Amino acid sequence: MEGKRSVRMCCLCNERRASLSRPKTLEQICRECFYLAFEDEIHQIIVSNRLFIRGDRVAIGASGGKDSTVLAYVLSKLNRIHDYGLHLFLLSVDEGITGYRDDSLETVHRNQIQYGLPLKVVSYKDLYGWTMDEIVKLIGLKNNCTFCGVFRRQALDRGAAFLKADKLVTGHNADDIAETVLLNILRGDIARLSRCSSIITGEDGPIPRCKPFKYTYEKEIVMYAYFKKLDYFSTECIYSPNAYRGFAREFIKDLERIRSPFSSLFILFVCLFVIHNHVIAYRPRAILDIIKSGENFRISTTTKMPEQGTCERCGYISSQKWCKACVLLDGLNRGLPKLGIGRSRVAIGCKEENESHGGKSIESKQCGSLDF
Amino acid sequence: MACNGAGGCQSGCYKDEETTCDQPTTAPSETDSKSSSNLCIKCKLNDVVSGYGGIDEGRFCADCFRSNLFGKFRLAVTSNAMISPTDKVLVAFSGGPSSRVALQFVHDLQERAHKNFEASRDRSLPVFGVGVVFIDESSVLPIPSHEMEEAVEVINLIVSSLAPPRKELHFVPIETVYSSDSSDGKERLIELMNVVSDPTGREDMLLSLRMVALQKVASEFGYNRIVLGSCISRIASHVISATVKGQGYSLPADIQYVDARWEIPVVLPLRDCFAQEINMYCRLDSLKTIKLSTCPSSSINSLVSSFVTLLQEENPSRESTIVRTAGKLIPFHFNRIPEIIDGNVPLATRRRQKRYNLKSNESVSSESFCPLCNSPLDKSEIVDWSNHNNCRSSDTFYTSCCSSCQFQILPSDSTSMEKFYTDLPHSMVARANKVNNDKLNALREQIQDCLLSDGEDET
Amino acid sequence: MQLTLEFGGGLELLCDSKKIHNVNVEFEQQNGEDKLTMKGLLSWVRTNLIKERPEMFMKGDTVRPGVLVLVNDCDWELSGQLNTSLEEKDVVVFISTLHGG
Repeated sequence: MEGKRSVRMCCLCNERRASLSRPKTLEQICRECFYLAFEDEIHQIIVSNRLFIRGDRVAIGASGGKDSTVLAYVLSKLNRIHDYGLHLFLLSVDEGITGYRDDSLETVHRNQIQYGLPLKVVSYKDLYGWTMDEIVKLIGLKNNCTFCGVFRRQALDRGAAFLKADKLVTGHNADDIAETVLLNILRGDIARLSRCSSIITGEDGPIPRCKPFKYTYEKEIVMYAYFKKLDYFSTECIYSPNAYRGFAREFIKDLERIRSPFSSLFILFVCLFVIHNHVIAYRPRAILDIIKSGENFRISTTTKMPEQGTCERCGYISSQKWCKACVLLDGLNRGLPKLGIGRSRVAIGCKEENESHGGKSIESKQCGSLDF
Repeated sequence: MACNGAGGCQSGCYKDEETTCDQPTTAPSETDSKSSSNLCIKCKLNDVVSGYGGIDEGRFCADCFRSNLFGKFRLAVTSNAMISPTDKVLVAFSGGPSSRVALQFVHDLQERAHKNFEASRDRSLPVFGVGVVFIDESSVLPIPSHEMEEAVEVINLIVSSLAPPRKELHFVPIETVYSSDSSDGKERLIELMNVVSDPTGREDMLLSLRMVALQKVASEFGYNRIVLGSCISRIASHVISATVKGQGYSLPADIQYVDARWEIPVVLPLRDCFAQEINMYCRLDSLKTIKLSTCPSSSINSLVSSFVTLLQEENPSRESTIVRTAGKLIPFHFNRIPEIIDGNVPLATRRRQKRYNLKSNESVSSESFCPLCNSPLDKSEIVDWSNHNNCRSSDTFYTSCCSSCQFQILPSDSTSMEKFYTDLPHSMVARANKVNNDKLNALREQIQDCLLSDGEDET
Repeated sequence: MQLTLEFGGGLELLCDSKKIHNVNVEFEQQNGEDKLTMKGLLSWVRTNLIKERPEMFMKGDTVRPGVLVLVNDCDWELSGQLNTSLEEKDVVVFISTLHGG
């Protein structure tokens, strides 16, 4: 086959050596052209979906991981060069997990200085009186992700409210969203299925959330972070060590690998031929196809959707008398931590999922990030 | 599911199935004091059988299992007005377990109707007719000829040994999609399939051709329903693979009990039965099935189906959850049996049909369909023809297909595309032309709609 | 052959939490081929560097889907993936995309 020494040139500028193959188009491009293309695509998404308006205060949900680090970097760059006129903030949640969150928060603190963005950290301890360490000590390693997910969602909203933010942006990427669409089908969660592929959610809630990376491939985010030597944290949560070992994620990755028999040939000629103005056959398209399906699902209006009200206890949006966080918290404080667990699980038999027989679960990122 | 310790596996293990199957009512556990937990929850007399998966796993004895499965079939048939006494039904029979059970159940239904007919005094309700079709795909699939000969023999035997009324059996080669007057159908079909290089595309193309063939046979021999054996497991896989291929818009069209977008409506009476249940039924009743050897496939479809099988093993309700979720998507207006206006049809039938059709008042109507796979097109996929006046017909065809077919099936260079287009069966080309004409008509109607003051709902 | 191997995105946890490994790869000549390819390197890494959960790193004879590979800062999809031939002093980077958001 081809040896690597046969240097291939960037198909955009034809000046520099190609450094990567873009998953979306299979174009072989150099780093400089990649930076431009990557940033411009996100700019186009922001503009065409009208994610922001001038003067918006935008809180960036920052975990210190790759997605949110790249998001903070790119957003502050775009804000500068395209003059969006946004006030950007980093917003982090301190779950109180020793050896995990304390380390990743250090990354966020460094990002604060590197990108010159003000940082607000909200902690579970301050908001709820409990750290995840304490919760796990009480309830063990079962269902801990339920607590964490419910608490994080509310913590982000409260942090954003504290910052008087108009929008909250998160780093969910195309791979995450494709996975969420599949998981919601597998779990029978029709309410989430109907909204999980929208680029903006929660417009009726206190603070709208949006996902500028909705169409951005995980591979490009990681490549961008690597080439730019961005400082991010990549250790798995100690309380769900195998969380990313999910069926659905692996399935999507397998799908990406299915290539049409022509594709090796296409890789060679992809820059020369763009026939019918259509993108040429290659598999990573599966991710965008799943998102497209998610967008095109028309949910029957006779399907009951939970009605939104407010929690009698804390005033947070809730479809029940008390919001989920208050129910869980009440259980913790009364020493009955099982209270509230499993009630929102829609599908039959879902309870066993987290216990996972062979160490595998259908979910990959259980810890809250699937909750849109 | 668990084996009950020292007494050995009474019901829990797969290994034990064969013995259980042979003598389903005389399992050795009758004397066992613990057996109360293993009694069928329905009749509370016989021991349960297990190994059939699904949500009812291990709950029924063999007899109750059979009647439960048939009950699901019958409920699907009656509540969707799938088969009326005057109908002539064509069962698409591949020889596999699902279509074997579909054939058996349709036969049972017919036999019952026949008995009622014989017993009734006025003999006013006729008995629906049943035919069977086997599509021979050996011209495009690597099936050894001796296997095919064997299959033909077995199928002949299966159909002829069913009790009367007699069922007509049609063996049809897939190249029948070309009009009978062209003798080079087989060559053209091979050429056509050769242009499609992607394994997923080939499978999907074959699926579309198979439907064209079924429609053709049904229409030629005067059938007015086509029965498919698609079970819940199959439909669950379809939900996932359609999602993965970006067919979220058209997906609901394919997974309903009734699909009347075709000339001859297609019905799916086994939509609520699990594959494992169907396999169990075949084992219990020693129904003979055939499996033609095919090469291992590296298509999206087979990746998806192994993924779904894996999930189903992990959780026996997974497939039904998937189908239930997809069932909440809005179906299309053609997902029901068209109402009969014919005065010769008994009033009771018409009334029954009316009642059930009322349920699906919430539906989407679609004017445009992909000429290849016949899936309804999303607005974004419908091309504005005003810019395409001077295009070659193969280019026009390309643009009138859904984006999934464009990507998965159609060749992307225009020379191959032209080749592909010339080898297409007439009916698919005709569909494309119809799309184009409809496009004009739709425009005209739109203008008229604007002029009319109120809507009317006749169809 | 002297190579520099770098593990990132969480993969370093599989090899004693050490990110950069300067290694000397001894490889057996096969079928008269005297080149070390990525295929050969991967199996060497698996036996010599990966200390735990090898399934996090490899699937079959290649890297697990979701692991990015760069040879001298160039995506290995450009150089023929498993067939990429390696030379003295090359730098090979493995990054997992699967960790955290």
